[in-house]
Amino acid sequence: MLTAPNGAVALERALGDPYDSDNPLGFAATVGNDERGEISAAGEELLDRLCLNAEFVPVALGGRLHAIDELVRAVRPVMRRDATLGLGYGITSFMAAINLWVAGTAAQRARIAELLLSGAKVSVAYHELDHGNDFSRNEFRAQVAGDRIELDGRKQVINNIERAAAMVLFARTGPGAGSRSHSVIFADKVELDPARVRYLGRYRSVGVRGCQLGGIELASCELPADSVVGELGHGVEIALRSFQITRAALPGMALGSLDTALRTVLRFARSRQLYGTTVADLPHARATLAGVFADLLACDCLATAAARALHVVPEQAGSLAAATKYLVPRIISEALYELSIVLGARSYIREGEHAIFQKIARDTPVLGVGHASAGACLATLVPQLTALARRAWGRDEDPPAALFDRDYELAALAPTKLGLGAAHRDAMICGVGPALDELDSACASSPTARELAAKLRAAKADLQTDAAALAPKDRTSFGSADAFELGHRYAVLVAASACLGTWRTERSEPHAFASDPAFVLASLQRLVGRLTRSGPLDAELEAPLFAELQRRDGATRSFDLDDLPLYGSDHA
Amino acid sequence: MAPVSAIEVDAPTAQARPVAIAQSLERQLGDPHDPSRAFSYAGALACDRREAFPAVACGALEQWGIERYYVPAGHGGSLSHYDEILHVMRVVARRDLTVAIGHGKTYLGGVCVWMGGAAAQARALGRRILDGAVVSLALTERNHGSDLLAGDLCAQPCPRGLQLSGEKWLINNATRGDLLCVLARTSSDGGPRGYSMVLVDKHELEPGCFTPLPKVPTHGIRGADISGIAFHRATVAGEAIVGEAGFGIEILLRSLQVTRTMCASLSLGAADTAVRLATRFALARNLYGRPLIELPSVRRTLAEAYGELLVSEVVATIAARSLDVFPAQASISSAVAKYLVPSFADRLIGRVGQILGARGVLEDVYVHGLFQKLERDQRIVGLFDGNTLVNLQTIVNQGPSLARALARHSDADAPLGELFGLDAARRQLDPAALALVARGGCAVVQSLASLLQRLDGAAAADPALVDALAFGRRLAAASAQVHSDLSAPAGPVDKIPAAAFGLAERYALCFAGASVLGVWLHNRSAYEPGETSGLWSGARWLTGALATLVARLDGPNKTTARATDALIEPLVHQTRAAHLYSLFGLELSEEGTC
Repeated sequence: MLTAPNGAVALERALGDPYDSDNPLGFAATVGNDERGEISAAGEELLDRLCLNAEFVPVALGGRLHAIDELVRAVRPVMRRDATLGLGYGITSFMAAINLWVAGTAAQRARIAELLLSGAKVSVAYHELDHGNDFSRNEFRAQVAGDRIELDGRKQVINNIERAAAMVLFARTGPGAGSRSHSVIFADKVELDPARVRYLGRYRSVGVRGCQLGGIELASCELPADSVVGELGHGVEIALRSFQITRAALPGMALGSLDTALRTVLRFARSRQLYGTTVADLPHARATLAGVFADLLACDCLATAAARALHVVPEQAGSLAAATKYLVPRIISEALYELSIVLGARSYIREGEHAIFQKIARDTPVLGVGHASAGACLATLVPQLTALARRAWGRDEDPPAALFDRDYELAALAPTKLGLGAAHRDAMICGVGPALDELDSACASSPTARELAAKLRAAKADLQTDAAALAPKDRTSFGSADAFELGHRYAVLVAASACLGTWRTERSEPHAFASDPAFVLASLQRLVGRLTRSGPLDAELEAPLFAELQRRDGATRSFDLDDLPLYGSDHA
Repeated sequence: MAPVSAIEVDAPTAQARPVAIAQSLERQLGDPHDPSRAFSYAGALACDRREAFPAVACGALEQWGIERYYVPAGHGGSLSHYDEILHVMRVVARRDLTVAIGHGKTYLGGVCVWMGGAAAQARALGRRILDGAVVSLALTERNHGSDLLAGDLCAQPCPRGLQLSGEKWLINNATRGDLLCVLARTSSDGGPRGYSMVLVDKHELEPGCFTPLPKVPTHGIRGADISGIAFHRATVAGEAIVGEAGFGIEILLRSLQVTRTMCASLSLGAADTAVRLATRFALARNLYGRPLIELPSVRRTLAEAYGELLVSEVVATIAARSLDVFPAQASISSAVAKYLVPSFADRLIGRVGQILGARGVLEDVYVHGLFQKLERDQRIVGLFDGNTLVNLQTIVNQGPSLARALARHSDADAPLGELFGLDAARRQLDPAALALVARGGCAVVQSLASLLQRLDGAAAADPALVDALAFGRRLAAASAQVHSDLSAPAGPVDKIPAAAFGLAERYALCFAGASVLGVWLHNRSAYEPGETSGLWSGARWLTGALATLVARLDGPNKTTARATDALIEPLVHQTRAAHLYSLFGLELSEEGTC
């Protein structure tokens, strides 16, 4: 049984009823803050009080961070309410801190823990507008001279840069574009000479408008040399490990936004009269709502497995994280589009009871900025696929149960175990075959199940053949478009494996909704649609999904795997 | 009123007349990157940020005399064919959708009168529009959305004519408008014959009998006047009724066939700018030490988007021409255009936005934040004037008769040359011929078989057509399947199964396929191979466009991917040359790129 994380329940309760227009943390207030381009003061105060930052700090340093999976679930209620608050209050502080958990010295770690636990923010400044995801070409320089290090250059579109107490910077510390030419710097602002720091103006963005995106220019600004994180010149390696963690974590947080979008449209559909009935009774609307619910569950399966893989199979976590960061945002954005068609004109209006929807539609694409784009994730995957196909995918074996079963205690994160290239094993892809065998026997009488299983087996075989045969020139970030297409297919299969793995785990708990084959079949049907062409769910799948969706809405429970009691829920 | 001479099309020109008219407007508007121009990107973004109506840019349109194309030639204007206003609004929309929607609305306001009004009413309204009056169309109410038969605003007979009471909401230009064409219930029972269109001149109403409703803050088109109006026993003359009393719904549905077709121009414009911003960025940007455009996956994304844009252009053009040539089928052609073109645009804009990354979501960094604005603006097109679902329903509801018509008819007598031949002399739309149901089916889709035969013949002599022929055959097979699946009645509107909407989408793709074949076969000899960036040389655009459609029907495969990948060259060429992304050749007034 998936147990509801207590912190998330408490946070939900503290956030209060989102539909209460007097609630300073409700949707009306959230939309108002967005209109003014402000972050929620009441929200920041609440999160300070609950010390959300402790979720970002390892238990050993006085915080609450143990498993990344739990962190994702702790932050999701904030994202369910207001992505601006989630990103603006803390997610970028987590993205900054992770570099130090990966490679920082004891002193650096103690300092950032102290800052975060006191409620301070830390910025993460990898990006330069002129180089995007290509960090290795960054121009921001750090020069070591004796026991000092001198910083020069600009970083743009950095969240909280002005109000942060410290920042993690990615800087050039050597010539050339090679992998040892950059370093990660932890810059504690108390160490900086304010006269050599200049903040650039605020960047306005179409979404998360309350986030304080800014820029910074440092001019011959000195720091102690021990501000370098890890070894000098090891920036790219630190980044590659840190990104595995953030890529695995962020998409699962963003599912909170999809939860609210789905709830908003469901509530509209149930109350709105059209053609003498309610919108929710129109077959197309119902199919859309059930389909998006299946998508949300599939995304949660994938995001959960990706987060747990960091602990369970760290050497394999990189490709899984890239697949997650590639696929989940894409599914969310397509789901929002489908939902907008049901919501109709109300999806376009920035006031009234459904206004939160258009905010989510604007916020979602901005969440990825300053983080890996879909293309960057595929560029990570493509060079690994051939090796994975040749040495890993030939086996059929059950994945470790701890990947999906949240009753398993996870070992503490060991960032040095995170692999940097293609792993020798791939629990997710190798697990597809055995899981489909189990699905076949559990759903022996369902033609839908048989058809899905056949399609997934074929998809796996094709992927394996095509990936094994990739020409060397295609096994690079400049690989052919067909090679990038393989990355898409890999991600979809990994997601299917995550759904199957979750279902197998849940089968031992007959009361859990996720133990119902309808959940896994619906999720798989939507995923298979991404390999060929999509269509509505089969009626036999739509009905139980829609019934469950209605039950959860009626009982005010979350739409993700947790089925968590939300604000005002009787069970809260 | 604009001087007539300013609008005459520059002659001589190789361009078809509708394109030439749009070219003349584009030339007069000048470079949109130049902030000193009346109609500039900088100005568009500034208005959007302030949520202010883009009056200066609208002034530039009026200086050119755009309102002449809102009024049919028979009522004193210059509009003789609907692809004229299609191309005109497209060059407006590619600069700023808010302007296109905020200004072009006057056509929407007048259309019911053109389609169903008495000659005197139409002439008088034509004069008002040519004098600069803003006309609005007031259909929707707060609680009824696309369910027009649920409207509560009523017009009751009174001694001096009619008395209007009730509210219309989410109305473009409700507040700025001088006149409104209002859908009003004229029989207490409502029903299909219980509504009338009433042309209300606000200047003739007694003060106090109407109040504007506040501007509604919207996701996109933030500068537009999206508001509403409440009537309090407002009296209008009996002659204000458009056409016959009780025929409002019918007049409206026929009029919407015209406007839904025209909506395609908005999405064509938005898609052009989106693809252009992404392509220019990819040409200029370096990633991993090489130009981004050399990254194969980026090339594919751009080429696919461009392929969808070319298909959209063909569908929009044929749907517009079909109004003139096959008005009785406009219920289908308009539904296809209104569904397909905005949906393609939404999708391709999302995909190319991935290439822009931060530049696609920031307001200040790249061309004033134009991309995020056009993406927000474009989303309205699929929602208004009959949303995607309404249009797909139209196709579903006529499915059985479409299937019967396909089985019954050959297209031997259909004037396909007039439809597909862009330079062919063409009849003008006869409003009386517009029909709620396309009894004869859809000549465009029905022509698929004979077009394919012609392609087959051409392919015998030209091996370059092999792929196109294979794609064409796939489309024909899909069309047969779709018609067979559509032949079963789908039931009442609230019971249409979800899968039927997917069928209607596939039907639209078949319409697009026939349009692509028709346009290529009927016009290929008119274009030199080198013209319009090589699109017409060999079977390049034909193969790419058909592959785009087959990929949408079946999912992409290696053959479709190869064919759409080949579109990257004309895309880059048209980008560098600053030509509209078009088969028909239109020069933009902005600098190209190297």
